[in-house]
Amino acid sequence: MEPKPSTTPSSFTDQQVFPGDVVLDLSKMANQTIKLGGGLRQDGDVISVMKAGKLRFSKPNKYWVESSNKRYVPSAGDNVLGIVVDAKADNFLVDIKGPTLAFLPVLAFEGGTRRNIPKFEMGTLLYVRVVKANTGMNPELSCMDASGKAAEYGPLKEGFMFESSTGLSRTLLSSPTCPVLETLGKKLAFEIAVGLNGRVWVNAASPSIVVLVANTIMKTESLSPVQQKIKVESLMQRMR
Amino acid sequence: MEQRLGSTWRMTVNEKKFIETALLSDLRTDGRGPFDYRNLTIQFGSEDGSSEVQLGQTRVMGFVTSQLVQPYRDRPNEGSLAIFTEFSPMADPSFEVGRPGEFAVELGRIVDRGLRESRAVDTESLCVVAGKWVWSIRIDLHILDNGGNLVDAANIAALAALLTFRRPECTLGGEDGQEVTIHPPDVREPLPLIVHHLPIAVTFAFIGNESTVVIDPSHFEEAVMGGKLTATLNTNGDVCAIQKAGGEGVMQSVIMQCLRIASVKAADITDKIKKAVGLDGGVVEVAHERYESGLWTLILKNGGVWLLILLTNWSSKEAFCSFTLLHLLEKLRNKTFVLVGKAAWKGVNNLSKEMEKPKMKTEDRSINQDDMEIEIHSSKKDGSSLGDNKPKAFTGGPSSWDPYSKGVNVDELKASLASRAVVTPKEEMDTSPPLKPATDESLKDADPAPSSQETAGTTEHTNEAKTLKDAVKPKHKRKKKKNLHHLFETLLETRLSRCCNVNLLCSLELAIVACN
Repeated sequence: MEPKPSTTPSSFTDQQVFPGDVVLDLSKMANQTIKLGGGLRQDGDVISVMKAGKLRFSKPNKYWVESSNKRYVPSAGDNVLGIVVDAKADNFLVDIKGPTLAFLPVLAFEGGTRRNIPKFEMGTLLYVRVVKANTGMNPELSCMDASGKAAEYGPLKEGFMFESSTGLSRTLLSSPTCPVLETLGKKLAFEIAVGLNGRVWVNAASPSIVVLVANTIMKTESLSPVQQKIKVESLMQRMR
Repeated sequence: MEQRLGSTWRMTVNEKKFIETALLSDLRTDGRGPFDYRNLTIQFGSEDGSSEVQLGQTRVMGFVTSQLVQPYRDRPNEGSLAIFTEFSPMADPSFEVGRPGEFAVELGRIVDRGLRESRAVDTESLCVVAGKWVWSIRIDLHILDNGGNLVDAANIAALAALLTFRRPECTLGGEDGQEVTIHPPDVREPLPLIVHHLPIAVTFAFIGNESTVVIDPSHFEEAVMGGKLTATLNTNGDVCAIQKAGGEGVMQSVIMQCLRIASVKAADITDKIKKAVGLDGGVVEVAHERYESGLWTLILKNGGVWLLILLTNWSSKEAFCSFTLLHLLEKLRNKTFVLVGKAAWKGVNNLSKEMEKPKMKTEDRSINQDDMEIEIHSSKKDGSSLGDNKPKAFTGGPSSWDPYSKGVNVDELKASLASRAVVTPKEEMDTSPPLKPATDESLKDADPAPSSQETAGTTEHTNEAKTLKDAVKPKHKRKKKKNLHHLFETLLETRLSRCCNVNLLCSLELAIVACN
């Protein structure tokens, strides 16, 4: 694709872009602050794409490239599901499906002091937030939100976790609620935690519901919204 | 080191508990019951002897090759079978390139034991010159994707590859009969291996403390299980091998139950394999049809088997009963058979419509005559023993050669081996005089017939030797793309007895199409 610097980035928004595409020409835009998310890079006066995917824009000024992978590239501000691998003096080593293990400081819990360090055994599933993620460094995590509250972060008990692609996670987290979850939620009662790194955790009162929800989500990943609804209905019929 | 840690798959505490709890209510994470297998698909590559098996997420590829080598000292007249496994790192992050790990060796051993100890593959037929040259069969198993239960998938891949493998034919020559000439495939049809039975591996996983047993464990379940048991059985009810390496102890009653379940599953899987390879007498396809100067040529296809039928003076095709045909094809499957002479099949009027249902190539078929003679390639030079007024059998393998029927007649086997894969038995197919499509009767008649043929078969072998030698015409008859017409005429005129593997007919079909 030829580089087409444009003043109106909307021509590229929601379009497939490839590494090397120039999507913005800063010299043509005056006095605007633009926030760049993952997959974009500033090269002097132009913004060029580094990762293949869809270009996304959110008001007022944030741009990023979105693609669906099985591997996760940590970026700050994401909520992910991690698995504890090891516990060191200062932090826990947590696997978040990225290129390296992430560090979760021992004190990064609400009301955490040296005296009440939580004890996580190997294999504990945690819902955490990525605080810092720079290339080449181990990402840093936290079990608190930006204001210091616990806010649902922490270990997840029971239930069942499965791994899928990052695209699926984003679909599940989109608003309005994605059709699969909506249709499932109408009939079944379950709890779900979605990590942007492709991990999804489901819990419900009985194992059959959990299995149903998990398999439905996995199977309907590649279907269109209408198809998803139909497929979910049929799967639920079968389980009855 | 951290890099590697980052890419391995990890198990959470939650999953372990969940899998165990779910199993208490007989539910598995992918919705299966405890004794359900995942979807099994078997596909074949373009070469003989290559197969790819998909069991759920698990994918294994099998590849069979052969080579002439010197035999082992203590077994001078047996060929050898060797299994090599390759665990590609793309299958699982824990697989590494280079030397096979412990699990890889174990998998290789299980498959090897199932095939070798149970004598599933006949190694004596692989001998060319006793003490000097034998065929060595090498099976390579490549693991492409590890979704759990590699042993079963690898076993199926090995079996499927063995069943479709063809080794080159070789003859002895030279002054002292010690020189071996290997014939390339376009000169002489390659031969299939003799596989007596199919040993199927069935794996059980023991999860949790109450010894809950599940069959065909998935990746999750394998990580959680306390112990594993693999039982290799065949459809005859023989236990070929059992492997239980370490892990939790289980009660004897549990093991017996597992074996019972395994025998049921083995039957299922054997059916699937046979269907995939084309040995089940399923759909009969008419691959090609042609009418020329009073001669009808039909190439029929049943799975992997091709059959050439030359018909003269036949009535409408309805008379050719599908049952009959399937039954005959069953016998002919993967066997070499010899052209003999005319076998008259009079009195059958209507070929069944089965012939028309499957896809047919063009050709005009509006011939209606009363008499039908099927020129069948059978192995008797003199048609006398065939009788005149009885519809004759396709002579192909004797039904006792069918490795999938109960047991193999050992004497028959030895005799036929001695004559180097020439098979001659005939069946008498009795269709009742009324001009009706052959019914099940004929089928039943044909079945008991084999036993009477055995003796007939053996006596013929001595004749065979002679007829073959002077009958085997030089290679020009076998070339593909030879003028088909010419070929047919020669066949008709001279009534050649030739060794003609069924697969040769593939090439004839090409010729037919080419001539068209």
